[in-house]
Amino acid sequence: MSTFKIEHRENNAINVLDLKGYLDAHTAPELEKTFQSLIDTNRFRIIVNCRDLTYISSAGLGVFMAYIEDVRRNQGDIKLSNMSPKVFNVFDLLGFPLLYEITPDEADAVKKFQETGKPPKAGK
Amino acid sequence: MTPRKSGLKKLLLLSLSAVLFLAKFVVDVIVSKLDIEVGFLSILQVLLVAGAFITLYLYIERVWRAGDQNVVKKMGFALILTLVVGVAGLILYTISTTGFEIKNEAALPEGFESIVFANLYAVVFGTTALFVLLTIRDIIMSKRRKETKRNFRIFLVVFLASIAVTLPYRPFESNIIVTLAFTLVIFAILLNSFRLSWIVYLTKREKLIAMTFSFILFGMYVPIYVASVGETSLIAQSLTYYSRQLETFIAGTTLFAATYFGMTFVSTLFHLPTAEAFDRKNIEVLSLHNLGKLITRVFDFHELTDLVTRMTLEVCEAASAWLEVREGEEATSIARARTGGNAGAATVRTVALQNINIQDIEAITGHDGGAIRRVVRESRKAVVIDQVAADDRTKHVKTVAGKINSMAIVPLVSHDEVIGILYATKTMEFGFDGEDADVLSAFADQVTIALENSRLIEKSLERERLMREMLLAQEMQRKLLPQELPSIEEVQIEALSTPAFEVGGDYYDFTMLDDEHLGVIVGDVSGKGVSAALFMAEMKGIFLSLSRLHRSPSEFLAEAHSALLGTMDRRTFISLIYAIVNVRTGVMKVARAGHCPMIFLSGNGTRFVKPTGLGVGMGSREFFSRTITEDEISLSYGDVAVFYTDGVTEARPENGEEFGYAKLEGIVAESGSGSALDIRDQIVLAVDTHMGHKAPDDDLTIVVLKWLKRQSHPSVNLHHH
Repeated sequence: MSTFKIEHRENNAINVLDLKGYLDAHTAPELEKTFQSLIDTNRFRIIVNCRDLTYISSAGLGVFMAYIEDVRRNQGDIKLSNMSPKVFNVFDLLGFPLLYEITPDEADAVKKFQETGKPPKAGK
Repeated sequence: MTPRKSGLKKLLLLSLSAVLFLAKFVVDVIVSKLDIEVGFLSILQVLLVAGAFITLYLYIERVWRAGDQNVVKKMGFALILTLVVGVAGLILYTISTTGFEIKNEAALPEGFESIVFANLYAVVFGTTALFVLLTIRDIIMSKRRKETKRNFRIFLVVFLASIAVTLPYRPFESNIIVTLAFTLVIFAILLNSFRLSWIVYLTKREKLIAMTFSFILFGMYVPIYVASVGETSLIAQSLTYYSRQLETFIAGTTLFAATYFGMTFVSTLFHLPTAEAFDRKNIEVLSLHNLGKLITRVFDFHELTDLVTRMTLEVCEAASAWLEVREGEEATSIARARTGGNAGAATVRTVALQNINIQDIEAITGHDGGAIRRVVRESRKAVVIDQVAADDRTKHVKTVAGKINSMAIVPLVSHDEVIGILYATKTMEFGFDGEDADVLSAFADQVTIALENSRLIEKSLERERLMREMLLAQEMQRKLLPQELPSIEEVQIEALSTPAFEVGGDYYDFTMLDDEHLGVIVGDVSGKGVSAALFMAEMKGIFLSLSRLHRSPSEFLAEAHSALLGTMDRRTFISLIYAIVNVRTGVMKVARAGHCPMIFLSGNGTRFVKPTGLGVGMGSREFFSRTITEDEISLSYGDVAVFYTDGVTEARPENGEEFGYAKLEGIVAESGSGSALDIRDQIVLAVDTHMGHKAPDDDLTIVVLKWLKRQSHPSVNLHHH
C-alpha cells in the first residue's frame, strides 16, 4: 500500500533523509512530519537523498518550501542530492536550483555543509 | 355465488327448518290423538327432527362466519345466550301446569299444552345447544395444533354415534350399548377439554373476564345438564318425549359445555398469577417490534432519539430514561489535526431525555469522571444497579435521592465500539430484574442499528449537499476561464482545460492589453481541489487587474508574486507562463515562473522555451524578481506556440510511463502544419490514448497559438466576454 518511504540516518553529523517512491499530496504529510521532528529536535543540517525517489508532485515540492525558512534561520540548510534526471526536471522547472543546493552526490552535499554552516544562497 | 343467491339460500334453509319444526308439532299432535303406536309416524318424527336441525345447522354455519372473533367475545355470546334461554326455560317451567306420564318406557303428554311446551323446549334448547357446541368448537379451534381438529372430529363421530345408537330403543329404555356409547362421549369431551392453550395468549384483563364468564357458564351448565337427563325432570321428560335423540344431543352438549367451561375456569385461575408477566412480555415484544419498524421510518436523528427514550420507558416501565452518544469521530480527528492535540477526546452528549432534567443527569453521570460510563464501556454489557444509594458506583447520586433508587445502564455497541449509552431509572430499589436487562440489551441492539442508520443517512445527505455545492463551484470556475476565443486575424488560438476533480487549479486566459498586445497566460496552482480553485480564482483577479499595466511579462509575474505572497501559505505556489505578443510586429516575449516550458515550432523545428524563474509564491519579492528572465521570439508565418500544464506531460496510466515531454514535442512537430484546433486535438487525443481507461488524476490545460501573419498591417478585433 505504502508507495512512499523515508529513512533517516546520519552522515558526518548531518541528517540524511532517504526518500523512496512516490511523493505526492497523499504522502507529503509524511515528509512534513519528518522535517518537523528534525526541527523540533534542533537538527537543521539536512540532506535529502533522492536516489530512490521516483516521482514528486507539486504538493511534494511544497513541503520543501514550507521548512526551508525555519531551517535557514537556524543556520542550517536543506540540500538535495542524487536526483534522477526526471525528478530533477520537476525541481528544475519550478526553479528549485535557484533556492536550493542540488548536488549529484550525497558526498558533495556533505562537503558543502562542512565547508560552511551558512546557507550559500539568500532565499529570502 | 353471488350475495343475493346466498341470501336466498339462507332464507330457504331457515324457512325449511321452520316448516319441519312445524310439521313435527303437527305429527306430535296427531300421534297423541291415536291410541296405538304407529311405526311409520315414529320414523317420520325422527326424520323431521333430524331434518329440522340439520337445515338449522346449515343455516347457522352460513350466517355465523365469525371465526376471527376473539375467544372472550365468543364466551360472552354463549353466556348471554345461555342466560336468556335459561331464564326463558325457567319461565316456561313455572307457567306449565301439565307434565307427562311415564308409561311403558315412554312419555305420554297429559294434554295439548304439554305437547306445545315440549315442542317449545325442544326448539329453544336444541337451537341453543347447537350454538353452544359451535361456540366451543370455535374456541377449541383457536390456536389449534395439528391434533386439535382430529380430536374434535373424534368427539363428533362418537357423539353422533351415541345419538344414533338410541334409535332402536324406546324413549326411556335403558341399554348397555347406549350407556357405553355415552361413556365414550364423556371420554371424547375430556379429550377436547384440555385444549385450553388459547388462555395463555390473553391479556390479564381478558383472563379475568374469561375466568368470570367460564365460572358463570360452568355454574349454569351443571344444573342444565342435571335438568336435561333423568326421568323425573319435566324438561328431561319433555325433551325425551319430543325426541330421545335430541335429548341425547342436548345432554351431551350441555355436559361438554359444563366440562369445558369448568376446565377453562380452573385453567384461567392458574394462569392469573403469570398474567401480568405475560402481559409485560407481550408489551416488550411489541415494543421491540415497533422499534424495528421505526428503524425504517425515522431518519431524523432527534426524532429517533426522542422515540428511543420514550420506548425505553415503555419497555421496562422505567420512571425516567435518557440517551447519550459519543460525538462523531471525524469531527474530533479534524479538531485533533488542527490543534495537534491528543487522540480519543471524543465528547459525550445527552441527545434525548424523558422525565428527568439535564442537571440531574449531570449529577449522575458527570460526577467522578463518569464512573458509570466506565463500567459499561469496559463490560460492554447492560449493568443493573439495584440500590443506587448503597452501590459504590452510584453513591454520589444521593443528591437526586428519592427519585432514583435503581438504574439500568446499557451500552450501545457497534463494531466493537461503544457509540452511546442508554440509561433507565426506577423509583424503587431492585426495580430491574435480569429479564429487564436482557430486554434492554435487545432493545439497545435495535437502537444501535437505528442510530447508525440515521447517521449514515445524514452523512449521505451531507455528501449530496457538498456534491451540489461542488457542481456549482465547477460551473462558476468554468466561467472564470475565457468563454470565447479572441478573433484576431493574425493569431489563431485554441484552448482546453479539464479539471481532474469537480474544480481544479489550472488557469489560462488571454486578453488584448491594448490595440497591439495580446497576453496569453497559463498557470497551475500547486495541489488540487477546492484550495487550488480558490487560488486560481484569485489569479484570475490579479491577471484582470494587473495585466494591462505591464507590457513586460516578467514585470507582470513579479507583480503577481508580490500580490499573492501575503495570501499563500509557504507550501503553496503557482506556476505561470506568460507570453505577450505584439500582433503588429510579431514579437513575442515569454516569461516563466516555475511553469512547464513553452514548445515553440518554427521553420527550424521544435524547441522548448524555458527562461528561468521561480514559481510564484516562492522566495522573497526581490529574490523572485531577480530570478525571472524573459525570452524574446520573432514570429514568422505558421509558427506555433504550445502552452500546457503538467497534467499533459505527467499523464500516467496505472503502472505505466508518464506521457513526457518528448512525446508532446513529437506531436507538435507532426501536427504543426495544421490549424491551432488540429494541434490541440492531436495532443488531447494522444493523452487520452496514453491514459487508456484510467481517469486523469491531474488538471490538464492546453493552449495553442498559431501565428498567421505575413508582412501586412494588423487588424485587431477581440470579442469581449
